[in-house]
Amino acid sequence: MLWLLAAVLLWRGVVPDDLRVAGVDPASLVPAADLERAERYERFLRIDFVLSQLVLLVVLALYAWRGARFAKESAAGRIGTGMLLGMIGLALVWLSQLPFRIAEVWWDRRYEQTDAGYVESLFQNWVALGAEFLFISFALLIVMALAGRFPRRWWLGAAPAFVGLAVLFAVVAPYLFPTEPADAALRADARRYALAQGTEPMRVAVEDVSEYTEAPNAYAVGLGPTRRVVLWSTLLDGRFSEGQVRVVLAHEVAHHSRNHLLEGLGWYSLLAVPGTWLIAVATRRRGGLAQPAAVPLSLLVLVGLELVSLPLQNAVSRHMEQEADWVALATTRDPASARALFRNFSTEALADPDPPAWSRLLLDSHPSVVERVALAEAWRERERER
Amino acid sequence: MTRHPVVLELEDDLRRSRLTVLFRLLLAIPLLIWLVLWTVVALVASVIGWVAALLLGRLPQGLHRFLAAYVRFATHVGAYLAIAANPYPSFKGEPGYPLDVTIPEPQAQPRWTIALRLPLALPALLVAAALGSGLTGGGGGGATGDSNAQWFTTSGVGGVAALCAILGWFAVLATGRMPNGLRDLGAYGIGYTAQAYAYLLLLTDRYPNADPNALGPAWSLPDHPARLELSDDERRSRLLVLFRFLLALPHLVWLTLWSVVAFLAALANGIVALVRGRSATPLHRFLAAYVRYVAHVSAFLFLVANPFPGFAGAPGYPVDIAIDAPAQQHRAITFFRLLLALPALLVSSALGFVLVVVGFLGWFAALVTGRMPSGLRNLGAIAIRYGAQTHAYGAILTDRYPYASPALRAPEQPEPPIEALTF
Repeated sequence: MLWLLAAVLLWRGVVPDDLRVAGVDPASLVPAADLERAERYERFLRIDFVLSQLVLLVVLALYAWRGARFAKESAAGRIGTGMLLGMIGLALVWLSQLPFRIAEVWWDRRYEQTDAGYVESLFQNWVALGAEFLFISFALLIVMALAGRFPRRWWLGAAPAFVGLAVLFAVVAPYLFPTEPADAALRADARRYALAQGTEPMRVAVEDVSEYTEAPNAYAVGLGPTRRVVLWSTLLDGRFSEGQVRVVLAHEVAHHSRNHLLEGLGWYSLLAVPGTWLIAVATRRRGGLAQPAAVPLSLLVLVGLELVSLPLQNAVSRHMEQEADWVALATTRDPASARALFRNFSTEALADPDPPAWSRLLLDSHPSVVERVALAEAWRERERER
Repeated sequence: MTRHPVVLELEDDLRRSRLTVLFRLLLAIPLLIWLVLWTVVALVASVIGWVAALLLGRLPQGLHRFLAAYVRFATHVGAYLAIAANPYPSFKGEPGYPLDVTIPEPQAQPRWTIALRLPLALPALLVAAALGSGLTGGGGGGATGDSNAQWFTTSGVGGVAALCAILGWFAVLATGRMPNGLRDLGAYGIGYTAQAYAYLLLLTDRYPNADPNALGPAWSLPDHPARLELSDDERRSRLLVLFRFLLALPHLVWLTLWSVVAFLAALANGIVALVRGRSATPLHRFLAAYVRYVAHVSAFLFLVANPFPGFAGAPGYPVDIAIDAPAQQHRAITFFRLLLALPALLVSSALGFVLVVVGFLGWFAALVTGRMPSGLRNLGAIAIRYGAQTHAYGAILTDRYPYASPALRAPEQPEPPIEALTF
């Protein structure tokens, strides 16, 4: 009950419940050739995703079944061996996903979404992979230490610990990626939008991604004093008008003004408690997570839970993105630029304007192009009626 | 242990003439000029020899004799420069120098190894470069000998033998003797390089063996309060090898944190040792665990051992360091410990570079075969042992200086004669 109440509170937003959103025909947005190209591009990526997840589950199931034998490669104690098994699981996940990433790079290159080579595309994230190895070690240190002390109730301590780690990560995340300060005009716009949205101004930075992708993107990152908006350099390379960039900027500022990062942490907390409990229950037959032999199984359960909760995670994310779009429209009062921007996502980033329902459910963290254009139109209509 | 056909002969009594050591580099100039000239001819001869060997399946006798003399001469010059031997070498590369190599008679060799000799020799040349005999420049030994500066530059890459020469130079000027450990380590580097060049120049088809025990001499290894205990079986898990660096990351983070505390503990231990004349037992225990842990992590990271180590530095790892209980230490040595440790730190860092090379080459070998080559493993273990002894010395766990010999374990003593047992 408490859980549901918290979920309802987190779900509340500023998009009017009585908003009339008219359907938009994708063909009216994008030329037929571009539409077909975007659909073809995304279709392959969807198949790639589904296959990669199937392989991932098979690999982890095999690892859960036989992985405990790697314990003999350890001279460390209970927790150290658990860390090793966790890291080996991560290594196997990385290996199993390698063919799919190669296919993705091949497809991106074919559709001119990247001109990066295979090797640099595959190995550009070694630092991130190293961070994942460290994170899983640290997570298992916490879990196995707690499970050693409280074999059946460890999850009660682990869930808050993970939320604490997530908060810490959210605070330090802006310092993990190299960025440059944005130009004065963008900084001034961001300041104006922040004040208009009733929040403190935050920093605006540009991340140079031109070496490995052509896709445009931006994101809001940080908490409290570390809050900032980061725009990818591909957004500022001349393909998008100033008005369109301003819509993106207002959208990202809205994520901060509407406290979406904090809300995200709230949802994470809501999922972490039942998630750790389920892992505790599932691993009991292997002696519980105090035992290294239970670690491979816990990885399978964790990934399974991630997949099962994907529709909910995506729904929450789409809800926040829709709210950020709405606030951006109210801030910039420029639905024409918003419409042009979303349309460009289809022609430049090859986003399928109207993806199938299962894709929305499992893959889409943002509203579709059609939905975003419809929202812009609805906002315009609503303003006209006032 | 099967001996390599290229055997290092060591008949050196460690005595050195201070005068010739003082001017050793200058005295070596004629040798180096001659070595450069000889290298140019040897280069041409080696190309001719390669073609002839491809046709005949073996190196012709005349060319074999010429190239063997060249390798011997380069070895003598290296030994002279590295102060691993005392007398001025002959210009003919004749056998009989105190640090010499025996090269086998020409034998039939598989043609495919002859055809691919240069790429096959590259890993061995990389190890030779790290061991830094001064004979490891491109194209042959003499290529590095055209100027003293270049010799040091080349050796400086990871130059264990060059470093032994520099440190030995000061020691000889002070005492008139070359320290045994430094001489042995320098001689080992020179001997391995001779094996590598003998292989490259088709004098043998046996691949160079980095195991010091396979080189020839029985290296000395006196008892030390920080000793290597090796129980590794050379088997390696390929999955753990593939992701070795990533798997070691938690240890590297933990080691960094532990190092900060260990540094402070070593300072405290130094103060205690100055006052009491021996280290405090709790600090000794803590620092000994730290020294062991560094050894375990190094062994894991550089593939000298297989299993994932524990985080507490507990004894029992396949590449382990046994450390004696606290003993009386000389206060003057404790007081000047940092200064005194500098030469050992230099040797340790040069051996650290060797360890990186061992890990790099071992990674490929272990990934393919599932085993770590014993020569590389033993070389890595020696580097780890020296590093551990340096750490133990720096952390005031012992006042015994690190011993640089490439011996893995003390040579077996011959059975005493029956008469010696009578009272």
